[in-house]
Amino acid sequence: MLDINKIRKDFKILSDEKAPIYFDNACMSLKPNTVVNAMNTYYYEFPACAGRSAHKMGDKVTKKIKETRTLIAKFINADSQKEIIFTRNTTEGINLLANSFPFKSGDIVLVSDKEHNSNLVPWLRLKEKAGIILKIIPGNNDNTFNLENFKEQVIGAKFVSIGHTSNLDGVTNPAKEIIEIAHKNGVLVHLDAAQSIAHQKIDVRDLDVDFLSFSGHKMLGPSGTGIFYGKQKLLEDLAPFMVGGDTVESTTYESYKMLEVPEKFEAGLQDYAGIIGLGEAVKYLDQLSFKEISEHEIKLNTYITEELRKFPKVKIIGPTDPVLRGGIINFYIENTDMHKFAIILDEMAGIAIRSGQHCVHSWFHSKKIYNSARVSVYFYNTMEEAEIFISNFTKILKII
Amino acid sequence: MACLIGLIIFGIMGIFSASHRALAKEAFDCVFRRITLRPCNSGFKEKIKGKILSRLINKSPFTARMVNRHYEILSWIFFILMVGSTVWVLRGGYNFYVYGSCNGLNASGFCAFDPNGDNNKISSVNGDSSTCGIVQKSEKTVTLKNIDLSSFPAKNIGSKDTVVFIGCYDCDYSRKAYPDIQKLVAKKDANYIFAHYPAKGNITDKLAYAGYCIYKNDGDKFWDWNTYLFATDKNYILDPVNLDTMLQKFNFDVKKTEECIASPETKKAVDSQVIELNKTNIYGTPTIFINQKAFVGPKPYRVYRSAINKFIFF
Repeated sequence: MLDINKIRKDFKILSDEKAPIYFDNACMSLKPNTVVNAMNTYYYEFPACAGRSAHKMGDKVTKKIKETRTLIAKFINADSQKEIIFTRNTTEGINLLANSFPFKSGDIVLVSDKEHNSNLVPWLRLKEKAGIILKIIPGNNDNTFNLENFKEQVIGAKFVSIGHTSNLDGVTNPAKEIIEIAHKNGVLVHLDAAQSIAHQKIDVRDLDVDFLSFSGHKMLGPSGTGIFYGKQKLLEDLAPFMVGGDTVESTTYESYKMLEVPEKFEAGLQDYAGIIGLGEAVKYLDQLSFKEISEHEIKLNTYITEELRKFPKVKIIGPTDPVLRGGIINFYIENTDMHKFAIILDEMAGIAIRSGQHCVHSWFHSKKIYNSARVSVYFYNTMEEAEIFISNFTKILKII
Repeated sequence: MACLIGLIIFGIMGIFSASHRALAKEAFDCVFRRITLRPCNSGFKEKIKGKILSRLINKSPFTARMVNRHYEILSWIFFILMVGSTVWVLRGGYNFYVYGSCNGLNASGFCAFDPNGDNNKISSVNGDSSTCGIVQKSEKTVTLKNIDLSSFPAKNIGSKDTVVFIGCYDCDYSRKAYPDIQKLVAKKDANYIFAHYPAKGNITDKLAYAGYCIYKNDGDKFWDWNTYLFATDKNYILDPVNLDTMLQKFNFDVKKTEECIASPETKKAVDSQVIELNKTNIYGTPTIFINQKAFVGPKPYRVYRSAINKFIFF
């Protein structure tokens, strides 16, 4: 069982007596001290380049970066560390894929009806630029994934890019089934794991997913770090996205010779401190149990959901069962600007929640909902915090 | 509306604080979008509303609910009040500049720029002759219309501007205003008439008689004498024992002047002057008429300058 009190001591911001109640984990997780310390150590002790300088500091950075790549490969059970490409975030990973995969005019790409803009805009742009056909898979009424709709649409498609867990409602799509169905139809699958990587075990080999991208900042790591995973053979077939220093073996005035994967996708000097911090984040997560994390999140979600249901005007986005929504409770009140809720909660009780359209504008526009307030919990949140949230929420609701 | 109020308030506060500057920038963005017929998307309105409500919610949920429900109306009310108070402040500033009082010409209400009311202090002539201080302005119209000023000392006759100084040798506020009026008259070569009014009773009678006699006998020598009286310690000038010494100082014929002072005609003439001055309805000294406009109390020099330069627009 998670020892929350002990865990909270690992986070400087939570150790303080006046610690904020941080319920915006779907946007950004807090960082354990080990992550921050590892980054500081890099800057204080060996702030050098990796892979090119022969001195001891350079060697140390190279070793640390390699260690992190191996750690992450192991974390998601990739076949090889060559399948791990460092990016700035999930968005960059998806852009890399959309721009490097040999899409042709008329190729059909499928996405769900509640994708984060990061997994929608690159494809909309490719529709304009390369003439692909972008199809939206309609979900069920409760916002869960509709496999039947998918089965119909996947026939003749070229590619599927789908969010693993939605940042809108916390619903995790049946990735394994989706991938199996897609593969049966000869369709490759990319999973946007930005929202799932920090909350559940992801085994790329078990899922048999072709491409996967996620960000470091939602999984205890530093902002500006991310991972793009691809099966090695598929990565080798992708064209380079950004080129320049570190992506080439050699150049002449007329030509260049690209490096192998993963380096051919990692143009320019990398965020070494960030990558080292990300490695520490993975180590931290590895010592915890995803099963226990999930149980804890669902316990908090169940309490908050039950309390919110006492107010008929509060509408929760997604399925009724909190178990299906992981650590996310996204709600709205008709004809009410939910920014107000978030601001008042923050001002009166130091409770940080997210309000707005959560980068899923397309879904909100289609449902004609102005905006919502999203509570997203993580393993370091406590039941007491959930109770304080409900108590303050009730006060606000009385004046709205 | 909240954005506009925010822009003005945070714009002013932003002069001193960087955090308020950021809010002012958000408010400006919001106002700019609204005036270009686009929705305000900065969330500024909700941010400010949220901050207000969060402070009210624990103290008075009822007030918080009312503010939330009627936020737009309250914003309008505050906006109107703000515009009104801004106009009021500007008007006050203008009045203070041209009249020496935020409340208008000779008005003695509270003025933030002149909290002690120094520019409106007078020596009262309406009965309470022993006290100096702020007195309520009389409703009577102070005017020079139909007043015969021919018997009073005058100089620069024929000038286009006329300044009439009604003051008293014993009154601090007259003594305060006197140098500024001399400066003004000298600068503008204005037609200048001096009238002594015994605001504090008979104590100044002898000096008034002396002044009358000196002007009658020695003409323009009167002005130096008069300036001397306003510049010298009043206890000294009011002591009858010192009169001869003072007359000698200016080489006046002491005997002749003393005889003139003692003559019943002089008393009659000075009394007639006071009767004439009373017709102006003055209620305190100093009262200075600049081209017929009455300024009661010792105003800053700029007020007199504005009046004579016709800088007063309304």
